[in-house]
Amino acid sequence: MSAATATAALRLALVGSPNCGKTALFNQLTGSRQKVANYAGVTVERKEGRFHAPSGREYALLDLPGAYSLDAASLDEAVTRDVCRGFYPGEPTPDVLVCVVDATNLRLHLRFALEVRELARQVGRPMVLAVNMMDAAQRRGIAVDLGVLEAELGVPVVPTVAVRHDGAAELVGALDRTVQHPQPPRAGLIDASPAGDALHAETRRLLALAVDMPRRTAKVDDTLDRLLLHPALGLLSLAVVMFLIFQAVYAWATPVMDLIDAGTVWLGEAVGGALPEGPLNSLLVDGIIAGLGGVIIFLPQIVILFAFILALEESGYLPRAAFLLDRLMAGAGLSGRSFIPLLSSFACAIPGIMATRSIQDPRDRLATIMVAPLMTCSARLPVYALLIGAFIPAQSVGIFNLQGLVLFALYAAGILSALVVAWIMKKWRRDKSEHALMLELPSYRLPHPRDLLIGLWERAWIFLRRVGGIILALTVLLWFLLSFPGAPEGATGPAIDYSFAGRIGHALTAVFAPIGFNWQICIALIPGMAAREVAVSSLATVYALQAADEAAATEALTPIITDTWSLATALSLLVWFIYAPQCISTLATIKRETGSWRQVAIATGYLFALAYLAAFVTYRVALALGAG
Amino acid sequence: MADAGLVAQQAVVAVAVMAACVYVVRRQFPQALRRGRMRLVLVLLRPHRAAWLQRLGRRLAPKVAAGPAAAACGQSGSCGGCSPG
Repeated sequence: MSAATATAALRLALVGSPNCGKTALFNQLTGSRQKVANYAGVTVERKEGRFHAPSGREYALLDLPGAYSLDAASLDEAVTRDVCRGFYPGEPTPDVLVCVVDATNLRLHLRFALEVRELARQVGRPMVLAVNMMDAAQRRGIAVDLGVLEAELGVPVVPTVAVRHDGAAELVGALDRTVQHPQPPRAGLIDASPAGDALHAETRRLLALAVDMPRRTAKVDDTLDRLLLHPALGLLSLAVVMFLIFQAVYAWATPVMDLIDAGTVWLGEAVGGALPEGPLNSLLVDGIIAGLGGVIIFLPQIVILFAFILALEESGYLPRAAFLLDRLMAGAGLSGRSFIPLLSSFACAIPGIMATRSIQDPRDRLATIMVAPLMTCSARLPVYALLIGAFIPAQSVGIFNLQGLVLFALYAAGILSALVVAWIMKKWRRDKSEHALMLELPSYRLPHPRDLLIGLWERAWIFLRRVGGIILALTVLLWFLLSFPGAPEGATGPAIDYSFAGRIGHALTAVFAPIGFNWQICIALIPGMAAREVAVSSLATVYALQAADEAAATEALTPIITDTWSLATALSLLVWFIYAPQCISTLATIKRETGSWRQVAIATGYLFALAYLAAFVTYRVALALGAG
Repeated sequence: MADAGLVAQQAVVAVAVMAACVYVVRRQFPQALRRGRMRLVLVLLRPHRAAWLQRLGRRLAPKVAAGPAAAACGQSGSCGGCSPG
């Protein structure tokens, strides 16, 4: 996406440290008028939105990645710095810099505001300082003298409450005044190239002048932290939270999934009946509708999972989880810093691997990159959901849902495997020293429904775009490979056996038969290399084309595999997907981040070996227990 | 008439499969595609080629990306060549 805005809207850049409420302010100002993409050449998220001030002026607002300093230590910080300076390729210099600070955490955020002010002076752009979360500061008895701050900083300073309906009104007013008389900040008291010590001294001076803080932390934070950061109770709480999430994914999604399933079947029948027999009919019904319907059905589960992850993120709990897991992760050769990249890998390994750029120690970074593909990315969820729904009975075990328990076990197996692999890597390396974790623990806050809804919409949209993009394209190609060439004259077997994909699938069974995979699964593994969830749409297409009649072709995938696969095969495939390295994009990202084909080969080799070995053991044990 | 309908269906399917093929290659192998285009363009732009082939070559040439220095700028933070102030 071109960064330049189409009309003459004034460009604002929203900058601030993580957890300052910047994104909530962005949502407050722009509502749903947002475009989410990536910065050119990197996978740092770029969010732009527009809004009209009461004056009628239109603003284009860019939500820059959170940064603690402009002396960049991570890719996010480098992007923020370069966009503000106008150095980022394709991004014009913003007209006004809006720096957001958390009124309850000025000790940390004012230092960054001073850096931004210096940068605004250098690039000759005006700056507005938004002191956010003023309501929270008031509740904690923190008094911020905005007049003194404004006089000392030489830039307009306004209070904001991003979660309140009119909480950004003063900011919009200040922006209107600023753009009428744009004036870059004057030279400050500190040196033009602010060294760390000078910045700290200036921050302390400003705090002494303008801020009255009865206590450093909120009482409620201290009380909650005593429980949630407790070495035993904290870990127990984390386990309970994660466990409940996976229970909810199954318990709440079923009614909507049934609706989508019924809609897919109806659409297939309607389109099949409306079009005359022929290749286009088959492409639409057996290929596109069966294939994409088989993937879209899992949207409700993905939305529920992300609702919980977003809520935890907004509440300030996630950095605490990183802190809690630091000791455990250090024991396995990782660090607490690996937590956020690994957590991101639950959405997709690619942003997770990119997020390791914030890990400064190359040893920890490499270990995190190598185990990130073991985290259960959202693309695996449709596969898990299909197999669990088909083979694990929807019954209760005590107060728990058995299907939710299995899903939890699959996620736990991925995490446990990552820890074991990292531990083995730690044993092999020469440098065994540990590195201390430094982390900001933000105040607890209740997630705002608006921010959650916007976040969920973004995630759902990303999923739907994949369905309409790469998954659709691969489904069409797979349908072609499954349909051509047709059966020769006098052929006795089903036509699909003579197709390109049929022949490939049959050839691959020589490798995968020992782990219980039939030729249909073997075919599905190939397009699954581009996107794992395509394995589901591929299975749906294979079985739809293989069906003897039209009624059978429009049947849902779940009952078909329940009838034709053994439980041992299903369990083997579930275990395969915990480890399977079949994601070309992930491997390409490992190459880009490590700059080494050797690391790509190691990652591919160990993941394939683990997948095959674990699936083999699972299949054989299941057969021995009579699950064949 | 039925044959014409079948031919039309086959034509639509052929276009859909080609479009899917192009999309997958562009999405999954952008660098390889770029390299392939560059090779083709260099062949088309050889001096003895016909004018229309050279025009086609210029049209097919991938857009010039920002140079490697610009692409890397700001991503490593290690050059120090353009630090503030």
